[in-house]
Amino acid sequence: MMNRCSRCGACQAYCPLYQETGLEPFVARGKVELLDLLQDSKLQWNDKLAEIFSTCLLCGNCGDNCPNKVKADLLVREGRRDLVVARGLPIIKRTVFNHFLKKDGRLGMMAKLFYLYQHSGLQQVIRKSRVLEKLPGNLDLKEKILPNLSSREFRKMVPKVIKTENSKLRVGYFTGCMTNYVYPQTGFSVLKVLKANKVEVVIPEQGCCGIPALASGDYETVRELARKNLASFNSLSLDYIVTDCASCLGTWLEYPELWQENGVNLLVEKIMDISTFLVKILQIELPNPVDLGLIIYHDPCHLKRVPGGRENPRALLKQITGNTRFVEMKDADRCCGSAGSFHITHYQLSQKVVQAKVKTLESRQAQYLATGCPACMMQLSHAFSEAGLPTKVVHTMELVAKAY
Amino acid sequence: MDKEIIKKIKGIVGRQRVLESFEERLCYSYDGTVQRGIPALVVFPENTQEVAEIVKLANEKEFPIFPRGAGTGLSGGSVPQDRGIALVLTRMNKIKEISKEDLLAVVEPGVITEVFHQAVEKEGLFYPPDPASLKTSTLGGNVAENAGGPRAFKYGVTKDYVLGLEVVTPQGDIMRTGGRTVKNVTGYDLTRLIVGSEGTLGIITEITLRLLPKPQAKQTALAIYDKMENAAQTVTAIICEGIIPATLELMDQTTIHCVENYLNMGLPLDAEAVLLIEVDGSPGQVVEEMKLVKVACEKNGCRQVQVAAEATERDRLWKARRAVSSAIVQLKPTKISEDATVPRSKIPEMVRRLKAISTKYNLYLPVFGHAGDGNLHPNIIADKRDHEEMERVEKAVAELFQAALDLGGTLSGEHGIGLMKKTYLVWETGDVGINYMKAIKNAVDPKGILNPGKMF
Repeated sequence: MMNRCSRCGACQAYCPLYQETGLEPFVARGKVELLDLLQDSKLQWNDKLAEIFSTCLLCGNCGDNCPNKVKADLLVREGRRDLVVARGLPIIKRTVFNHFLKKDGRLGMMAKLFYLYQHSGLQQVIRKSRVLEKLPGNLDLKEKILPNLSSREFRKMVPKVIKTENSKLRVGYFTGCMTNYVYPQTGFSVLKVLKANKVEVVIPEQGCCGIPALASGDYETVRELARKNLASFNSLSLDYIVTDCASCLGTWLEYPELWQENGVNLLVEKIMDISTFLVKILQIELPNPVDLGLIIYHDPCHLKRVPGGRENPRALLKQITGNTRFVEMKDADRCCGSAGSFHITHYQLSQKVVQAKVKTLESRQAQYLATGCPACMMQLSHAFSEAGLPTKVVHTMELVAKAY
Repeated sequence: MDKEIIKKIKGIVGRQRVLESFEERLCYSYDGTVQRGIPALVVFPENTQEVAEIVKLANEKEFPIFPRGAGTGLSGGSVPQDRGIALVLTRMNKIKEISKEDLLAVVEPGVITEVFHQAVEKEGLFYPPDPASLKTSTLGGNVAENAGGPRAFKYGVTKDYVLGLEVVTPQGDIMRTGGRTVKNVTGYDLTRLIVGSEGTLGIITEITLRLLPKPQAKQTALAIYDKMENAAQTVTAIICEGIIPATLELMDQTTIHCVENYLNMGLPLDAEAVLLIEVDGSPGQVVEEMKLVKVACEKNGCRQVQVAAEATERDRLWKARRAVSSAIVQLKPTKISEDATVPRSKIPEMVRRLKAISTKYNLYLPVFGHAGDGNLHPNIIADKRDHEEMERVEKAVAELFQAALDLGGTLSGEHGIGLMKKTYLVWETGDVGINYMKAIKNAVDPKGILNPGKMF
């Protein structure tokens, strides 16, 4: 694929990071040049290259618009994989992946500790003391990105099988970590709508989809997580699998390539975004008009690229009637800059990227910004709250549930 | 690079606007060609004063400067020479003024061409030059290379729109040329000298551009041909009808295949050629001209003419055309992009000769380009790792240039000479021409500071 890059530079027009920095190492063309030299052994992985290759949102906008279909996001990810092979993961990521991602119990424990931090008064003490402001690395701001965690895991608050009378379909629900630990209201909304539409829901044991590891080039960890998740959803006689997290969906869709086992394809073919399930499979019509005011929508990078990923969430939002109005936002499909842990590791740059969304919202007094990925939700709500914008950031499903 | 010099440069622009690491410098070693050269330092000035100070320092310490915009050039013009600094002007990107009364705009060199198009069109004005890379290319780069584009057929090229410049001379002085008037015969036409000088005679720090009122209407058509000959004949026929379309673009079969593979827009894969024709003007004039264009196409053996009904359809056709230059790399990775140009009447003959060269050297040679102004883009597509093939490429390029010159044409219509064509320059200019150019260069840049190694 790399050979197809003609260095024409067209990617400059589509890269959110290039648009913010104007620097060639940030854009696809620069990275492809470096990868080319790495491949020819004219360069070796080092700290500088690690830093350069960490500056990519993996939003894929360059590849979508490349005349030669050079998917630089995939190349960057493979570059990160080679980097992991050559130099290993940074110690923080290694610890997190090995001790938390792979072991769901510990992730739950961690979430509990954070909950305690936020609710025991410790957070208030720390914020008041302004100790974080005095430490380097924007710790004070980063600390605010993580929204208040749920007191209990979503999956521990609901039964493993939720039956309805005369159910017409049986679906598995992959909740993702974010809905489970941070945004349980999304999960409750999904269940409410599915139940109203007579769908039986199964929520089996599950872990992280693996995207943090995938984005960091740690393919081994992803494979292990993929294997566990697939095993868990297999043999449940499901008609479909739904998820409310665009990032999880994107990762699941890559499982067959990462984990070439018999039957993987059959299972992965069943997974879809909840909006697709509602619009294409159930063809639902929302029953009750509600007055929600002005709604705009932000396209998560991982959702806009799947078939119907742009249209289906909009179709749902447009169905909400009453005095609710759906308005298209300028550059709705431009990456918000969250990109997994990018908004922690490159806080300031990430905040620059999201400013385009903030500006749009400043001129449009929307009540709600809906989106289909909890990672985008976290980034956008942080940016809006820092900018003092009144717009509430919600998952599309939360608004849909209001019409039931 | 000498630490003392780096320190001084940082003192001028600030330490944040300098890139030093080898890896980052590699990202400024290329443009849109196969040429490479790693600068010793990458510097991002933000105003004319900084540029002037850097050039003065360069004269004092004798290091070369390679001015650069977005780095999308196709001649190697901005590629550094493994020393000196890459001076990237993209941070100087303010549109300072758009004047409806004077029909002009004043801009800094780093403004992106498309951003400028949108800004003036919002005011009901029009800046015609439209190089295919307009989404990323900078106006400074456009002026330095004298960029053209499809609309050149009717509207001319960048030089026809530059009224005045602010230039940092090779010795670090700030000079203004031309001004805000269309008529200006005061002294030598230094504006025209700097336009297309490829960064060898001065660094452009401000540009005054002439604007036109925006045409009210346009219509775009795609004409499909079974025979390349017929498409080429049509170009001459349309011109003989007295019509000057805004654009008249030709794509041959190989090009059609590459674009179709990229966009899946239903281009006819069995056609030997297509013409993309756009007329603009008042609504009445546009309808009238498109009628005559259709007749000319049909008389010359066109299989079918599709007129784009809506703006979205027109955008789609243009997206196809703009994708060409990059899409042909599907064939093989290395693109040697030429822009030899011939008088309009010689298009059919040039196309015949290009086919013959392609066959003779057994090379991919897709032909597309601005047929209306005789500016074809024969592109040789090869693999730079295949040395035997690259030898054939070299011979084919020489023969291609010779063909253009034989027909009364030129080596380069709009890409510039840069590194790619400098060995051939003498074929067109002769020794007298080259010596004249060198005399100018030596007089204004005795130490060879600005973009050395380019052009000659």
